[in-house]
Amino acid sequence: MRNISTPALAIRGGALSYGTTTALTDIDITVMPGEAMALIGPNGSGKSTLLKGVLGLIPLVEGTMTFGESAGADTGIGYLPQTEHIDPEFPVSLKQVVMMGRYRKLGLFTFPGKADRHAVKKAIADVGLTNVANKRFGSLSGGQQQRGFLARALASEPGLLLLDEPFNGLDQPNRDALLQTIRELKAAGVGIIVTTHDLDLAREVCDTVLFVNGRQIAFGPKDDVLTLANLQEVFSDFQVEIDEHTVVVPGHEGH
Amino acid sequence: MNFLDALTTAFALPFMGRALIVMLVLSVAAGVIGVFINLRGLEFLSDGLTHAVFPGLAAGFVLSGHNGVLIGALIAAAAATIVLTLMSNNKVASDATTAIVLTAMFSIGVIIVSASSGRAGGLEQLLFGHLLTVTDTEAITTVVVSLIALVLVLLTFRRQVFRAFDSVASAAAGYRRVVTELVLNVAIALVIVAASNAVGNLLVLAVLIVPGALSRLVSNRLGGLFVVAISAGLLASWIGLAAGFSISVNGGVDVPGGATVALTFIALYAIALIVRVIRKGANA
Repeated sequence: MRNISTPALAIRGGALSYGTTTALTDIDITVMPGEAMALIGPNGSGKSTLLKGVLGLIPLVEGTMTFGESAGADTGIGYLPQTEHIDPEFPVSLKQVVMMGRYRKLGLFTFPGKADRHAVKKAIADVGLTNVANKRFGSLSGGQQQRGFLARALASEPGLLLLDEPFNGLDQPNRDALLQTIRELKAAGVGIIVTTHDLDLAREVCDTVLFVNGRQIAFGPKDDVLTLANLQEVFSDFQVEIDEHTVVVPGHEGH
Repeated sequence: MNFLDALTTAFALPFMGRALIVMLVLSVAAGVIGVFINLRGLEFLSDGLTHAVFPGLAAGFVLSGHNGVLIGALIAAAAATIVLTLMSNNKVASDATTAIVLTAMFSIGVIIVSASSGRAGGLEQLLFGHLLTVTDTEAITTVVVSLIALVLVLLTFRRQVFRAFDSVASAAAGYRRVVTELVLNVAIALVIVAASNAVGNLLVLAVLIVPGALSRLVSNRLGGLFVVAISAGLLASWIGLAAGFSISVNGGVDVPGGATVALTFIALYAIALIVRVIRKGANA
């Protein structure tokens, strides 16, 4: 059982920068196991910066960042990239890509065993790609590649999972399937951070919301934070249209 | 002795047998590492390291002859690897600055050797190797250095594959990028040092880069790449050495073994390329 009393991720007074340019400040967040946090902000607001910071790709210049025992730099974080610039000719099959999610669990001298092969098979089945498991990864369609990367993240059985715009370009069946996957992961105690432009989606599967625009604008339970005042502050440069159910930020893909 | 006889009987001669063993071990190490060079697109860095090692070879040779070459090369390789890895990690190096620094290193090496009059033929041996006249000590050190390079890559095999395919996700999985890159660069440098000793500094790239490039032409599967690259290396070593021997004996000319081995590598690559073009044409 995962320890559910310690946060999967906690950042206190965090600031991140690229070289000398400060990109994001005042980050104070907690992601508990089994909780999903929506990360929302306009383009260039620091969403990717925060994800990179959590992944350890850019350093925290201020504040502290702590991980739960089942997540963090030593055990690995599940990560679903937005658009991956992979070499389409790279000679690996989908199955081999998903097995990469298991690498950290393998010892230096141990080969993948039954449990690893089973986890890979299950992850591929979960994203509905069993029939192309042995195909070269680069030969798959964009949507299939994205689901393949999701399978890799699932196979790693992460304590913390980062999803960068996972709903972009998904059709309705795939969108529903991904929502269901997120619900199952939450039930299994995984802490999740998902960046999205889709506020409906944030309401649907997320528990907390973090608004950023160069700094933290607001963080808290979604019902407290998803307010018109916060939206206006975050998207001050954008025209926000609100109808009965959806809020669409022009210039981005809405649903 | 004709070429077909040379393929078998020539290796009974001690100096030919020694050359073959050196080349076979080198081919296995260079085959595995060459595949990663190809997958990561590190051909230019490998070329740079080859140049950077040269002043080390030269200084070692001038100071204490053939036995000094290895030490000198290792010191130069260590320095160059660390500098290049850090530079590429911090993105301060453009291809142009790398090229300038490394050409400078190569020039310094040439001047060092040329300035020492006591070592006749030294420059030629450093550039083209002396595969057929390696001593037992040189053969053993070359084999040992190759094996160390091979073990380094085998121990980090999974993270090397992960890094080559998807650098961000490999970092997310908890593999520190600078460690992965440093290990591979050190392994490349070690193979360059070993190969410089055998086939000479100018021909190193044939041994290091051609098998990996060739394997991409032949195989679409990760495992297949390594099998093809190693096999190509073994085959080219055998045929190349026999060809060099046969030409030298029959033609009465002194052909460096490294050159015929390098040319055999290129010939195998050309064959693979032609076969691929024909197969693609047949499929279209």
